[in-house]
Amino acid sequence: MIKDYLKNTWEGLYTVLVGMKITWKHLFVPSVTLQYPEERAKLPERARNRLFVNINDCIGCMQCATACPVNCIDIETVKGAPVDMPGETSKGKKKALWVTKFEIDIAKCCFCQLCVFPCPTECIQMTDVYEYSEWDRDNLIYNYANLTPQEVDIKQLNLEKFQAEKEAKKIEAAKAKAEAAAKKAEEDKAKSEEKPSDDEKKEEK
Amino acid sequence: MSIYDLIFYLFAAITVLSALMVVSSDNIVRSAFYLLATFFGVSGLYVLLGADFVAVTQIMVYIGGILILLLFGVMLTSNITNVEIKKGMKNVIPAIVGIGIFLAATISMMTNTNWKTQPGEIPQTTSFELGKLLITDYVLVFELLGILLLIALIGAASMARKEQE
Amino acid sequence: MQNYLTEIFGNELVAEITVYVLNTIPVLAFIVLFVLFAVWLERKVSAHMQDRLGPMRVGWHGVLQTVADFLKLVQKEDIVADANDKALFNIAPFLVFVATLATYTMLPFTSIFVGSNADVGIFLVLALSGAVVAGILMAGWASNNKYSLYGSLRAAAQIVSYEIPTALVVLTMIMVYGTMNLGDVTEAQTSYFWNWGIFGGAGLGLGKFLLVPFMFVAFIILFISTLAESNRTPFDLPESESELVAGFNTEYSGIKFSMFFLAEFANMFLIGSILVIFFFGGYNSPFGYFGNLIGVDWLIPIEQLFWFIGKGMFFVFISMWLRWTLPRVRVDQLMTICWKYLIPYAFFNLLIVGLILLI
Repeated sequence: MIKDYLKNTWEGLYTVLVGMKITWKHLFVPSVTLQYPEERAKLPERARNRLFVNINDCIGCMQCATACPVNCIDIETVKGAPVDMPGETSKGKKKALWVTKFEIDIAKCCFCQLCVFPCPTECIQMTDVYEYSEWDRDNLIYNYANLTPQEVDIKQLNLEKFQAEKEAKKIEAAKAKAEAAAKKAEEDKAKSEEKPSDDEKKEEK
Repeated sequence: MSIYDLIFYLFAAITVLSALMVVSSDNIVRSAFYLLATFFGVSGLYVLLGADFVAVTQIMVYIGGILILLLFGVMLTSNITNVEIKKGMKNVIPAIVGIGIFLAATISMMTNTNWKTQPGEIPQTTSFELGKLLITDYVLVFELLGILLLIALIGAASMARKEQE
Repeated sequence: MQNYLTEIFGNELVAEITVYVLNTIPVLAFIVLFVLFAVWLERKVSAHMQDRLGPMRVGWHGVLQTVADFLKLVQKEDIVADANDKALFNIAPFLVFVATLATYTMLPFTSIFVGSNADVGIFLVLALSGAVVAGILMAGWASNNKYSLYGSLRAAAQIVSYEIPTALVVLTMIMVYGTMNLGDVTEAQTSYFWNWGIFGGAGLGLGKFLLVPFMFVAFIILFISTLAESNRTPFDLPESESELVAGFNTEYSGIKFSMFFLAEFANMFLIGSILVIFFFGGYNSPFGYFGNLIGVDWLIPIEQLFWFIGKGMFFVFISMWLRWTLPRVRVDQLMTICWKYLIPYAFFNLLIVGLILLI
């Protein structure tokens, strides 16, 4: 009884000293934290942070927008008219579409990197920028398209003009075709009157 | 008027006013806290009388002990907020008579006693003499008080103990 | 100084009151400066013990962080809820702070500066730290909040219980030194460090050597029980954040909260200084004074101030160290430590020291 009591007392004091020894040692352990804005942790090589789109290389294939699981990429394109083609990517691939709108809502982005892999021109990439907080949520919608609204209108007009021309051509072609067909039909008619058609022969059988 | 007079009146006012508030307050917890001021005032008066040890004992025992016990008692009592505290006039005539007699006795005592008027020497320290007296002249009373307190302590402990068996 | 003030004011009474008021200013200034420093130190110590850095922005290694925090705190709205008992709610923090401040008047900072060289010294310190309980109960009650009330009841139970071992050890010390005057206690351990209380006091002979272990036991008991009285971890049940939402100061904000805060940290230094006065020679230098060596008299009080504050800060540091080492004890453990361990040891210590002193 008395022995237990003394033992308890001793253990109480001794274990406190043991604990104090541990904390004393930690007093001299260099800190594991970083003084954040001045010191930064080195990011891993394949860290996934803010998205960046090199719009000059974008061919507007929409594969990234399709791959995005949260639908944060919004792309609109206009077909290039032959008078005003979008040019080539840096690797020499011909672009067929004007990218009139390329918006990424980075607030929605879940940093899954799924948009990066399907891109045929490697124009959408993850960067190492991770500080981009904003006062206004709308500022987090990044617009990468570099066309002004006027330019977009022009492209649209060009396309419409081109399409109208094409349509006109088509109609003409169709007319011509129709005329040709009509001619042919008349000729055929003339021929068929001379001899019965195959169908009629089959029926006769 | 020296500063000691000023302090005396301050402490006296604190003591009397807070004692009045203790009696007249509606809220029983407030009463207990007014009692705190009363005890402080009284201990201040002790200091002015040169009884420093008694003054500190007053703080220690009455504020640190009795008042805390009282507050504990009050706060742990259920339904303290709607306890009806009896106030107001009751038995006015007997009270006046009683107070009158007491007042007359006090005043006659004050006027008839032959007070020592020459300035007495304020003792610089009382605790040393007090200790000596308690251990020599008043040792019997001291020991008896000790035994009384011990009995009270044991009694309280045995009453507070859970019934066994 | 009083004569000088009498000439200025032309009135002795006003001059005397001014002297008394002015006398408290160094102590008050010391407390405020100490708290500003101690809060920073606490944060630094806790940070480094957890392998962090702590405040680093305001000033060199964040030394001005507490000043900034204090400025923020005084700007805060002073919230008094409708259901609070307003008068008591407003008085309580000041009662706690004033009672703590009053204990500082008894401390001999140097041989020439003592707030009040009263003979009841340590007894008054004990009494006033008991009176703090009334302020804490007042705060808990007036907050009209169940957590605050629990916190204050716990605080009261804790402080009242731990006053007993404290008082017993202080009684032992009074027996050893033969006085309650803290200045005289310090004078008794003057000159070199082997005259300190922990090494058996100034007397020579068998008694001194027999006393050493018992002085050490007394020191441990006094340290634990005063730590508990100041509501520091591991005894911080009254204001445990995790279970009582900071206990009796839950409802307080702004300047009133900072009063509690000041009182708590002032209490930390008070513990340290009482331990230093009883066991480690108070303001006495361990190896004689530099001022004596080169014959500069005015240097001695400054050295004494340095030693007093330095030794006091050492114990403040130890209590911080303990805080970041130990978890909080449970209520039943708290009472077990007090009633089953500290009090019996203190009693035995009292008896044995008494016997040794009779030799």
